[in-house]
Amino acid sequence: MKRRTFLHQATASGIIASQLSHNLVHAQSDDSSSVNLSQLFSTLSGQVLSQAKKLGASFAEFRIGRDTSESIHTREKAVQGVNFSADSGCCVRVLVDGAWGFAASHAIEKNEVRQLTQTAIAIAKQQQGKRLHVVNLESLNAWQDQWQMPMQIDPFSVTLEEKADRLLHINDRALAAGAKFCRSGLVQVREEKWLANSVGSRIEQSRVRLRPYFSVTLLDEKKGGFASRDSLAAPRGSGYEYFKEYDFDSEVVQAVEEAKEKLAAPGVKAGLKDLVIHPTNLWLTIHESIGHPTELDRALGYEANFAGTSFVKPELLDKLQYASELVTVRADRTQANGLSTVAYDDDGVKTAGQEFNIIDKGRFTNYQMALGQASLIGREHSNGCAYADSFSSFPLQRMPNISLQPGADDSVTADTLISDVEDGIYIVGSGSWSIDQQRYNFQFTGQTFHKIKNGKLDGMYKDVAYQGNSVEFWNACDGLAGPSTYELGGAFNCGKGRPTQSAPVSHGAVPARFRQLQVLNTQQEAGA
Amino acid sequence: MIPSEAQIRSLTEKILNLSSADSAVVHISAADNANLRFANNDITSNASQNLLSLSISSNFGTRSASVTWNQTDEHSLREAVLRSEQMARISPENPEFMPPLAAQEYQKPNSFSATTAASGPDELAAWLQVAIDSTRAAKVDGAGFLTLKTSASAMATSAGLFVYEPSTVIDFSITARTHQGNGSGWASLQVTDSQNLSLKNTADRAVQKALDSRKPSALSAARYPVVLEASAARNLISLLLWSLNRRSSDEKRSFLNHLAEGDPQGQQLFGSKASLFSDPTYQQAPASIYSGSGLPCQRTDWIKDGTLRNLHCGRFWAKKQKIQAVPHANNLIMPGEHQSLEKLISQVDRGILITRLWYLRMVQPQTLLYTGLTRDGTFLIENGKITRPVNNFRFNQSPTNVLKNLVASGRPERVLGSEGSMPMHIPPLLVNDFHFSSVSDAV
Repeated sequence: MKRRTFLHQATASGIIASQLSHNLVHAQSDDSSSVNLSQLFSTLSGQVLSQAKKLGASFAEFRIGRDTSESIHTREKAVQGVNFSADSGCCVRVLVDGAWGFAASHAIEKNEVRQLTQTAIAIAKQQQGKRLHVVNLESLNAWQDQWQMPMQIDPFSVTLEEKADRLLHINDRALAAGAKFCRSGLVQVREEKWLANSVGSRIEQSRVRLRPYFSVTLLDEKKGGFASRDSLAAPRGSGYEYFKEYDFDSEVVQAVEEAKEKLAAPGVKAGLKDLVIHPTNLWLTIHESIGHPTELDRALGYEANFAGTSFVKPELLDKLQYASELVTVRADRTQANGLSTVAYDDDGVKTAGQEFNIIDKGRFTNYQMALGQASLIGREHSNGCAYADSFSSFPLQRMPNISLQPGADDSVTADTLISDVEDGIYIVGSGSWSIDQQRYNFQFTGQTFHKIKNGKLDGMYKDVAYQGNSVEFWNACDGLAGPSTYELGGAFNCGKGRPTQSAPVSHGAVPARFRQLQVLNTQQEAGA
Repeated sequence: MIPSEAQIRSLTEKILNLSSADSAVVHISAADNANLRFANNDITSNASQNLLSLSISSNFGTRSASVTWNQTDEHSLREAVLRSEQMARISPENPEFMPPLAAQEYQKPNSFSATTAASGPDELAAWLQVAIDSTRAAKVDGAGFLTLKTSASAMATSAGLFVYEPSTVIDFSITARTHQGNGSGWASLQVTDSQNLSLKNTADRAVQKALDSRKPSALSAARYPVVLEASAARNLISLLLWSLNRRSSDEKRSFLNHLAEGDPQGQQLFGSKASLFSDPTYQQAPASIYSGSGLPCQRTDWIKDGTLRNLHCGRFWAKKQKIQAVPHANNLIMPGEHQSLEKLISQVDRGILITRLWYLRMVQPQTLLYTGLTRDGTFLIENGKITRPVNNFRFNQSPTNVLKNLVASGRPERVLGSEGSMPMHIPPLLVNDFHFSSVSDAV
């Protein structure tokens, strides 16, 4: 099959007069911007779907995507980078005789789209007669809908000066409080998608996410060495109001004080200890030890070469006691401010009504699924977990917002949990993370490690990491704080697939207590 | 088909002619990708991607901003330039701003193969079928990824710099797993020219590893001598490379400050058999001839016979310190001693052979301590021979100690690591005192 030319659009007479122009307009004001791509979508989707059907596709999909981002990065007194990015393009996905074909291009233009459809069909047909198994799709509902994530202040409507001032103010406060170095930044993304499929769906969606950050570093001028403390502010699916209202003024001063304390703190003695883990740390443990193992594509071997497989085999469905009975973990793509929150997934499945428990009172009850997987474990349909990180990416099963549900008693707080610990550590903030390819053995660090002695906090440790095995860890949970302590953590950049796709996802949690976990001294681990 | 030098030059000139800034920098990259993923011995996704990225940085005095976009129509070019200028005008002064470079002398790039660039999804599918046939014949489950990327990248500045380079690269990795899930093997390769492809050999290595690693026996975590196959060695060595930074060292917040009193450059910090260098024209692993700032990439010795020779240093810091800027490496070469893998193994009384490492993450920046795990082929070596497969391990290990405790090395190979695909030509390494922290049940 023929390869396409890269500068196609520069020479084409072009339906698309100025895609970037609309991206830029869109960045500045929220109206009218979608008109151009919406029109293109209407014009081209019919063409793709009828061409694909004619060429033998049993299922076809046309998607246009536009990602707009802006980032500001600062260091001490300097703004080191101001970047704006606007990428758009389209893709065609087809199923022919049980095999997928996919083609994508930055050029959203009639002739290019015709070529994409031919290419997608041709590469699907390459597999005819060579497959051991075919892809079977469940029935899909048809939706015609438009959805925009609710927010108060569009971050793209706020001036750069305002954002830079806020960031440099954070740095100033850090330096005034005694930090030697401080870097800070704000990354904002708008993701827009137009999806049409041969089932009859026509869906337009738009959402925004923010990632504010800072990190302070102090030096020990006398003994040498340094300590850092990163912000606990989580990325969110929110408007600018989140950055504006978060109390960075207080947090950055607290961060400097904690870095000072960490610098002077004694190293932890390695061994078994009780841990009380704050949501700013636990979200990442949930992500790695519950989120990834319960992805059905992993369990079935589809990610064996990179992300890995899973210890959670399909035969363990409804049987595995994954956690203690206190623990219920829920998947929900409708959750307010969730980074994975969206009305329809990238297979065109409506997410409202698809919320599900992955772990129900400790028992493993469901996998995360994308299109064409449910029947492989005897379920009827996907639960809305598909995501493609760009117009040029094939949709994969990706995590919904996956959250530990609070304990029932709202009077229980982190202090309550700490009060029943004789010898332990209260861990706050996420640090280093690593887990094996089947999601048994993990190791995490954090930002601050507060010593617990006889039910009370008693200073700080440094050089702490905790290790565990996913099922043993979650079964060691014997205390959860109540609903008012619930916090949402998350990340912009969960990696999976090849080429690697980066997905945003949130995880809510409450402070939780775990008994007798293995704690390491990282300085000793280094042999230093 | 990727754009020619003339097409790209014309586009960069068009963009720079639209600029009214004091100075401007343009980057362009265009890629024609074909990707095949497979699992359970079937292709799972099969994709063709036609991608383009343009970026302009506009500068007014020391105020600067950049815009990235992917459309080439006149209006988009104009809007992008205008927006970058609007943003630059309202950006704060950057005291660390460096003006764009003027024309530079570059080496001739050699990371492009016309034969490979002429290949596409049809060729890819045919190449891959050989590997799938291998795993099917061996009755193991094959999963992997084959990608062909043909790209062109260019940079131009208002001060007269222009550089263009085309490149081709094929990455292939394959995991073979037994149906019972009790054995797993992995192998990979990376080539610039498709004529050097040997997917069957790579697939057969993965299959053999899977069969050999069945039913691993239990072994406790401890410090062992290890033979790191080239992929595992690559992972650890590259982590060291990224951390060789002049500014962090000068600011006393580098692991180098833990290793050395005073300026670490010029000090013997590693074992005498440790040598690492970069060279963009190195035939076995060619790479880009220019850095992000436009500095020409030259052969750069990072470590020579255990002595730290160079640290990466950006243009601003170089000017401040009155030293030469040193661009980041685009490739990495460790010459090695060319001992066979069997010879390396024969030198171990009791140790571990590691095929692949996984999920490496920084634990402690002060000591450059990283954690991670072994996977897809971990074997016990006793009395100079592989005796049996063993469980996987979590390690906590600094790559500095890998080079300090380096005993011997093998023949360099161009393979892939767990993450990242920078061209590297790295040998298997025999390393003493490798710290395994705990056992992993994963197979």
